[in-house]
Amino acid sequence: MKKVLVADDKDTGRELVRTVLEKSGHQVFEANDGEQAVAEALRIQPDLIILDIHMPGLDGFGVIEKLRREAGFSHTPIIALTASAMMGDRERAMAAGFTGYITKPIRLDALRAEVERLLA
Amino acid sequence: MLLERRFRELLEAAPDAIMQVDADGRIILLNRVAEDMFGYSRDELLGQPVEALIPKELHTRHAEHRAHYRQHPMTRTMGSGLSLEAIRKDGSRFPVEISLSPSESAEGFRVTAIIRDTTERRNAEERLRKVREGYTQQLAEANSELEMTNRELQRANRLKSEFLASMSHELRTPLHTIIGFSELLGEKLEGPLNDKQTRFVQHIHKDALHLLELINDVLDISKIEADRLELRPEAFDFTALIAESLASVRSLADAKSHVLETTSDVPTAIEADRLRIKQVLVNLLSNAIKFTPEGGRIGLDARVQDSFVVVSVSDTGVGIPPEEHEAIFDKFHQVGATTKGVREGTGLGLAITKRLVEQHGGRIWVQSKPQEGSTFLFTLPLESAERESQGA
Repeated sequence: MKKVLVADDKDTGRELVRTVLEKSGHQVFEANDGEQAVAEALRIQPDLIILDIHMPGLDGFGVIEKLRREAGFSHTPIIALTASAMMGDRERAMAAGFTGYITKPIRLDALRAEVERLLA
Repeated sequence: MLLERRFRELLEAAPDAIMQVDADGRIILLNRVAEDMFGYSRDELLGQPVEALIPKELHTRHAEHRAHYRQHPMTRTMGSGLSLEAIRKDGSRFPVEISLSPSESAEGFRVTAIIRDTTERRNAEERLRKVREGYTQQLAEANSELEMTNRELQRANRLKSEFLASMSHELRTPLHTIIGFSELLGEKLEGPLNDKQTRFVQHIHKDALHLLELINDVLDISKIEADRLELRPEAFDFTALIAESLASVRSLADAKSHVLETTSDVPTAIEADRLRIKQVLVNLLSNAIKFTPEGGRIGLDARVQDSFVVVSVSDTGVGIPPEEHEAIFDKFHQVGATTKGVREGTGLGLAITKRLVEQHGGRIWVQSKPQEGSTFLFTLPLESAERESQGA
């Protein structure tokens, strides 16, 4: 069983991803903002993190910047989840150190495939 | 004496004031114009030093000039001097222009001065200067107004694109969970649904996807209208893109039992915005599928002609009457409005498609006969038009 941390400020969004991942047999932890995401990540040492980019306060970019400096987090797969569909967002996310990129609304199979690819 | 009279006539006929001054600077001759100009009678001026006609503060300098002129006499023409000022009997001052000619005779050194009152001309020059200054100021004001308008426009444009970005985000966020949860329910992993429940959940999911499509269309057209749609040209395999586009509409085509056929004869790589060209292909294919009755034939053909790829998407659908061949590319025009067909969508699809093709340097048109089907054709330059113009 792999540990996955899901950070999203919307509880419905977290529950959707949690449900999909638990059905795939993973253990899911939640964080509802950026600060909590950093703290939870340090505490549980997840195998994969799914980060909403747009969160109030510390956003997804802030979280990944902090985490990538922590020992043991330089290679943790981190998927960016965003409702923005503006050009250049994907490039910006990849340049910031994200390993995956999924836009909202998610297609469940696309989410499953990206998670399994990064956990393999 | 005849000569004396002739000389007087000549003197008085001149339009300018004329005076003669001796070696000591005393006035020894003047005409009527000079009397009128300075407001003195002839008797009052004869024998007076010429400084009487010059403002007091200039007396010393004028005496020096006169002494210098006596040493280096030469003809000085009208207008060659500086702007000078003279004073009338009543103390009023006026601008003058003076020409000087020296003469030496048995009677001694003399200077003949011709004096012209330039008040009128100076006034005219002053008026002209004011008019010019007025224009300059008006121009400066208009310019700064333009600059302000420009700044406001830039600000409005920036706000508009920020609004678009945040609208896009805000609308997708709730759709994310509506689409996700309805798909999740439909998978029945959380428990069984009866047939009716399954159908209802499918309706929610399908219409939520449709709503997403509408939102994307509205955002696209807004970006196009605001000239903010940027292309990202790259070299890619066109044949692969055709296969990908066909794959993404195959389930739609299967649902209506259409046959999807393709013939492609295009060199592997073309240079364009891959995602946008896929959007064009998928849009034309979905339209063809949508407006063709069940069991139709949808064809996609691509071939190279000169330096362009010519792509055609044909169907065996209801066709489009000739009077609509131009209008279907307008915003909000729906073929369904005049043709029996499916009425869904924003009516923006073809408008967006046309703009995407044109922004790539291509063009799009339709050939169609009612009841015989339609063929949409578009061209794309083999090399990116944007990159070419950047390189030029």
